[in-house]
Amino acid sequence: MKILTTVKNVVDVELNIHVENGAIVEEGLQYVINAWDESAVETAVQLKENNNAETTLVSVGGGEDNTKMIRRGYAMGIESGIQIDDAALAEGDSFVYAKVLQKVYEKGDYDLVITGKQAQDTDNGQTGIILAEYLGLPCVSNVIAIEVIDDQHIKVSRLGDAGTEIVELELPAVVTVDVSINEPRLPQMRSIMMAKKKPIDVMDLAALGTSHDEIGGATLKSEVVEFMAPEKREGGQKFEGDAAEITAQVVGLLANEAKVL
Amino acid sequence: MAKVLVIADIKQGVLKGSTAELLSKAKAIGAETAVAAIGNNIESLIPSLATSGSDTQYVADDPGLELFSAGPYACCVVDAARQFGADMIWFGFSESGKAVAPRVAAQLDAACATDITDVMLEGDQIEVIRPAITNKVIQRVKVNAGQLVAVVRAGAFEATEGITGTENVVRLSPPAPDLKAVIKEIVSEASGEIDLADADVVISVGRGVKDQAGVALVKELADELEAGFGSSRAMVDAGFMPHYKQVGQTGKIVAPTLYMAIGISGAIQHLAGMKGSKVILAVNKDPEAPIFNVADYGIVGDLFEVVPILREEIKKIRSPAG
Ligand SMILES: Cc1cc2nc3c(=O)[nH]c(=O)nc-3n(C[C@H](O)[C@H](O)[C@H](O)COP(=O)(O)OP(=O)(O)OC[C@H]3O[C@@H](n4cnc5c(N)ncnc54)[C@H](O)[C@@H]3O)c2cc1C
Repeated sequence: MKILTTVKNVVDVELNIHVENGAIVEEGLQYVINAWDESAVETAVQLKENNNAETTLVSVGGGEDNTKMIRRGYAMGIESGIQIDDAALAEGDSFVYAKVLQKVYEKGDYDLVITGKQAQDTDNGQTGIILAEYLGLPCVSNVIAIEVIDDQHIKVSRLGDAGTEIVELELPAVVTVDVSINEPRLPQMRSIMMAKKKPIDVMDLAALGTSHDEIGGATLKSEVVEFMAPEKREGGQKFEGDAAEITAQVVGLLANEAKVL
Repeated sequence: MAKVLVIADIKQGVLKGSTAELLSKAKAIGAETAVAAIGNNIESLIPSLATSGSDTQYVADDPGLELFSAGPYACCVVDAARQFGADMIWFGFSESGKAVAPRVAAQLDAACATDITDVMLEGDQIEVIRPAITNKVIQRVKVNAGQLVAVVRAGAFEATEGITGTENVVRLSPPAPDLKAVIKEIVSEASGEIDLADADVVISVGRGVKDQAGVALVKELADELEAGFGSSRAMVDAGFMPHYKQVGQTGKIVAPTLYMAIGISGAIQHLAGMKGSKVILAVNKDPEAPIFNVADYGIVGDLFEVVPILREEIKKIRSPAG
């Protein structure tokens, strides 16, 4: 089984993020691997270890940060990496990334695509699903478990509205995974060192056999025109001291001040 | 006049309130409204689909739609959107909506926006507001495509009092099943429980409750208050609470009148799911826990000591005579 996994570098959501004049202030930001993609990579590596899968990781985006994402994937156990590096990709939406990934998929001969269900920078949760539509492949999103049945079939568990949905997928297929599917491994120092020496297949859009126009880069379906700071919720009253006393006091406030009991 | 197609939110045969909320918003921005209802044995819902504020009802009622499957559902939505000539297609906040919306957008070559909290319409120009980066920023998004498919964040819109519609039913032909993604079963542990999204009071447990005994202690309080019983991800990952009870960015979005966070630190991903609550009470032994930054009332203390007192005090207040 050949697996293609995707990785995106995203702004570290734990940092303070400032907005000025409708834009995010870049200074002081750091970029890390998207948590959902890290789970996708771990899923792929586990399938390699337990089911002899072959794994490829692709990142759409240039620069040192993206190279680092692929090296991190290598250190976790991914075998080969592709980096799509093209200035034309500076602006994109989920449809553009899905088109690029479609081209990557068509160059390989993959049985399964695993993406994170969402990226922490946009929280869109669209790319993997749109990719499946473009490829005409079956797709299940929000997956929390994958079981290989045979060469042509997998069984996945998806968190749905009515409970956990058990779906049998015919390969090739696309799944998008939730972070709760696994606990991504921390790579060992030795693997990190080895990962530095591994080659990465860097391609621009031309090498991929496509163009800015074909991927829809010139006609984005939507674009963010302004960033704003969210409304802040202020903390209220905090009580410390004798548990019986402060608890009785708070219940009184909930009933008489907030009127919610 | 813009045309908005709202996808009815039907859970276990019940039409959820978000349908009327979305239709109310559509009317408020001056749009012509239609609703698409997809499921099995949903005939009885048709009158309430109309009274929720729709002027046309596209109904796909078929045994093949009993269990959710994104492909066939998307087919029905695309069919209804084409027949109606929808400019916008809105889903209520749900896992099925999140799975179907991008498919529909790809098939219609439309734009797609998830988690939206507002929509602005000026002439033909559509703009939406949505949070991103785990709620750390708010985006204003301009739609360039002719159509928009959107998933509306829970609690974003309010139902208009006295809204009406007209019954005008259009039957959709049943879609072909997805033979390459076959839904085998739905493992549900939730039957008979209070739906977190509907509950007036939600009480959630975090890693601070430690184990099953701690969960049981807080559950007693939840049962007495007829509250929804939720969880942080830590307790779900540890196997003490089921997945569907997770509140937060990857779980349920709740906005009850009262939210109690018991032994929850207040990570941004958890806050993303409950910050819209009217009143927040936090119990945590760490006075520096970030949950206190959003809590209206904070009790700093050991929850194993505080929760039993909380139960007693609430009982006293609720039955002053007894
Ligand atoms: C991509 C992503 C998505 C995520 N999605 C979600 C999500 O949807 N929902 C979610 O909840 N999390 C989510 N998380 C995880 C989140 O970051 C936190 O790890 C998680 O919320 C922590 O859960 P907790 O507060 O129960 O545990 P902890 O952070 O360990 O906090 C436990 C708290 O209990 C207190 N405590 C301990 N003992 C006691 C006691 N005896 N009495 C009183 N207080 C006590 C401690 O002081 C501490 O504050 C996500 C993370 C990522 C990366």
